[in-house]
Amino acid sequence: MNPSVDTLRATFGTAIGRSSVTRDGVSTVDVACAQALKVFEFLRSSEHYDYLVDLTAVEYRDPERPLEVVYLLRSLQGGAELRVKVLLDVRQELAVDSVVGVWAGANWLEREVFDMFGVQFRGHPDLRRILMWETYAEGHPLRKDFPLRGRFSRAEQVRQALAGHPEAHYSMEELSFADAHHDLPADMRERLRRGERGTIPHSE
Amino acid sequence: MLPAHHTFTARNAHALLAHPMHQPYVAFLLLLVFVAANAVLLIGLSHLVAPHRPTVSKLAPYESGMPPLGGAHERFSVKFYLVAMLFILFDIETVFLIPWGTIYFASSGPPGGPPMGFLLVEMLVFLAVLFVGYIYVWRRGAFRWD
Amino acid sequence: MKHVATETVTGQNPNWLLAKLDDLVNWARANSLWPMPFGTACCAIEFMATAASRFDFARFGMERQAFSPRQADVLICAGRLPFKLAPVIRRVYDQMPQPKWVISMGACASSGGIFDNYAMVQGIDTIVPVDVYVPGCPPRPEGLLYGVLLLHKKIKGESLADRALRDEHPLDDTGLRLPPDTIDEISEPFGNSVHQFRSA
Repeated sequence: MNPSVDTLRATFGTAIGRSSVTRDGVSTVDVACAQALKVFEFLRSSEHYDYLVDLTAVEYRDPERPLEVVYLLRSLQGGAELRVKVLLDVRQELAVDSVVGVWAGANWLEREVFDMFGVQFRGHPDLRRILMWETYAEGHPLRKDFPLRGRFSRAEQVRQALAGHPEAHYSMEELSFADAHHDLPADMRERLRRGERGTIPHSE
Repeated sequence: MLPAHHTFTARNAHALLAHPMHQPYVAFLLLLVFVAANAVLLIGLSHLVAPHRPTVSKLAPYESGMPPLGGAHERFSVKFYLVAMLFILFDIETVFLIPWGTIYFASSGPPGGPPMGFLLVEMLVFLAVLFVGYIYVWRRGAFRWD
Repeated sequence: MKHVATETVTGQNPNWLLAKLDDLVNWARANSLWPMPFGTACCAIEFMATAASRFDFARFGMERQAFSPRQADVLICAGRLPFKLAPVIRRVYDQMPQPKWVISMGACASSGGIFDNYAMVQGIDTIVPVDVYVPGCPPRPEGLLYGVLLLHKKIKGESLADRALRDEHPLDDTGLRLPPDTIDEISEPFGNSVHQFRSA
């Protein structure tokens, strides 16, 4: 068992749930949703888990089991690995604090979890769909109640896919400074005028 | 060659083509005619046969299948213009060097002209003036690419 | 040139001179089909293999792969097509000048293949008109070459007099190429897919 688990239990007490070691030798620990961000900040700063390997989610067929948002962490200095699972009740609203401030690589990983599972990440700078197109209306595909073939008929899916709004391809940020302002649909112009922007951090 | 009052008849054309001085050029003329006819035939035939079906989508600019965003008029960096202009300038300098070199490196320079030393100094003065310009351009940063 | 109203079984022109012109034009078109490889997935690898030295489709006239639709004759969709990519292939197809043909390479491009789900187009014929379907997962290079030869045969049966052949068919005002019932019908699950639903 990874010593960080004991450190976490000592620091956060009841916020830390079950812990185990999976067959691949990685320690897994459950964390309550409310304290999640503090736990991650602690893991980054004090326990030196500076690399977020992956961020994904799991929903089980059994409705009693919570939806788990899984964070796989790694320490580049020591090589220690830790899997943290934040448990969310499927009957409640699915929301957890975003860890983009702790690990910048979580940006797109959280967008993928939002797209596929509908989990809201509070504090994410640009939470929008990433795998499906931005105006995808059928729901969140990897949920258990989402039918394999989608909710709309095939013809409707084709029609929606071919509609090809500029929004489906370009982000609001890109559209806001393109010269094609007059080509955009009216409601998009209105949103741009109101200052709705995704903030993409600029690289120097 | 022919007096102005002669009309263009087959006999005159034959006289033109059969003239001994014109022999190398007849082949060239034939080639020109053949090339022009070939090009016209190929392009013309393709134009006649080809279907012409413009649609709005077909005429839009190609942007890998995405809806084109914005105009194509982007701002150019001035460094491209600078390089082109400087090239022209120093290329003209080279152009002036070539006839001078022909005269200078002939066995004794131009017949009955100024002595070799004078020619050399004259060209060196020319190069020196341009060299001053080169230093100026260099120090002003025109050669900086980024 | 008078429009010849006589229709023959093969679509060939009964006027001898025009038939010879048809032959010439079709021969030229068939033997210089420049492909636009719209390769998305595994079939693209087999496409590359067909283009490489062992199987070499350059000997069939497909010497230059045109990566711009403006210079392409045949759009070869090699690989599965997600719904997100659907408007892209439609736009690329629209931007190809006539005469143009489409080869649907592989099971996924022809019918959705093993991906009968929310994200994949169930056959690109719901989006663009297809001339030749090449089944396989992926089809062997010989299979793709057979498909190309079938397309040659199809082209050689065309006629310049048939002006409707080269008409553009844009999407209708509902945004579809085919009526919705037809799309639903050709996208229906078949084979093993019939037993797979995997949700409540």
